[in-house]
Amino acid sequence: MSVVSAPGLEALMAGYQRADEEAATALIETVSPLLLRFFWMRAVNRRYAEDLVQDTWMRVHKARHTYRPGEPVLPWIFAIARHAGLDNYRKARRVEDRETQVETLPELASAKVPDRGDLDADIQAILGVLPDSQREVLVMLKVSGMSLEEVARATSSSVGSVKQKAHRAYLKLREALAPGGKSGVRPNEA
Amino acid sequence: MKPNGPEIRTNDIDPDKMDSKDTQKIDRLLEEFAARAIAPVDAMPDAQFDAMPDSPALAARRAILADLRPVRPLPAAGTLMLGFLGLFASLAALSAAILGPHGFPALSPAQRAAIFPTLLAAAAAWAVACSRQMRPAGGARFGAPALLASIGVFPALFALLFRGYGVLNLVPQGIPCLLAGMGVAIPAGLAAVWLLRRGFVLDWSAAGLAAGVLAGLTGLAMLELHCPNLKAIHVLVWHVAVVALSAALGYGVGRIADARSA
Repeated sequence: MSVVSAPGLEALMAGYQRADEEAATALIETVSPLLLRFFWMRAVNRRYAEDLVQDTWMRVHKARHTYRPGEPVLPWIFAIARHAGLDNYRKARRVEDRETQVETLPELASAKVPDRGDLDADIQAILGVLPDSQREVLVMLKVSGMSLEEVARATSSSVGSVKQKAHRAYLKLREALAPGGKSGVRPNEA
Repeated sequence: MKPNGPEIRTNDIDPDKMDSKDTQKIDRLLEEFAARAIAPVDAMPDAQFDAMPDSPALAARRAILADLRPVRPLPAAGTLMLGFLGLFASLAALSAAILGPHGFPALSPAQRAAIFPTLLAAAAAWAVACSRQMRPAGGARFGAPALLASIGVFPALFALLFRGYGVLNLVPQGIPCLLAGMGVAIPAGLAAVWLLRRGFVLDWSAAGLAAGVLAGLTGLAMLELHCPNLKAIHVLVWHVAVVALSAALGYGVGRIADARSA
């Protein structure tokens, strides 16, 4: 993975605010993979994660005037992204609550959306032991490649709190990866 | 743009507290996942991804470019904070001037020196909270301790400054103060929401709470300027209730807004 240099992103974001097409395109192309990782780690399948990426960009577009030139871009975008995820989760919960349970699920006419591969399922199983807040912090730090300060900004919390969540996440993961741990993943696979 | 190369910032996390083998094992898993997550669609294990019509980046780019217009960035956080503080001060002073500033002359210089700077400090703190809510990643949100401190400081201060705990006419004298306080707090809250909407609020519950507390403080400031009743029980119950009620109202409205936006 590549962690994008911050000054580059800031320049692109400033260009986007000035309606520079090239800057907007470059920003979207550079940050979308980071967002996709962030969502896919928490979503059921890639297509759903991609929908969330798109939703995030639509929100970013509406909110672009709130970015202050010179400030870090990733925390600003990820703050929007985590709320896009949260809103979609709430929406899904609401729909679920309204749905009537049937005994057997009907066959879907559309093509099935492929789920993750074995490795992804393993990671999902491992991360499944973590509470949402710890998983989110870990994904931002380790998968999206953000620094502690950036994660603290994105989650509207302090660096100390992010550190604590990450530390606890690691402790839980270590437990889950131990032989006979909760994850169901054999340690040598990891 | 210069990418930094294949790198994960592995240890921002306290390494002394972690077995390095375990940390590496977990990091390796996450790195592998991260690499797969950004693999092009046609490199995915399932060939069905090839048939996917559009990537999110492409679809988003198309929609964004179609609507690309220059925007003026929001002012600095300090300017926004001063905007909220100005709203607090001007509404409190204006409404007290309209209703009659009978309370201010009734206070002793020591009481004035204790009450108004405390009010200003609390309002400044919540003006910061409001300005943080206007932009994503604007800063840490104010939690329960800040709320308890900013509401709790006033009963403590009033208990120190005022005397008289007789409950005779407590309700008949208090209701007009509560109504007047809320009559100022509600427009102040609406004005704060109008300002908040200039930004992009992600968490309306937190923004509603911040606006509600600031609006309540506006109502309280007006009452301290207007109300000449200096009985401790009156001030403690009815004046402070304006802040608590306004905070609860702001939070409640914010929760509803959050639920609707989802």
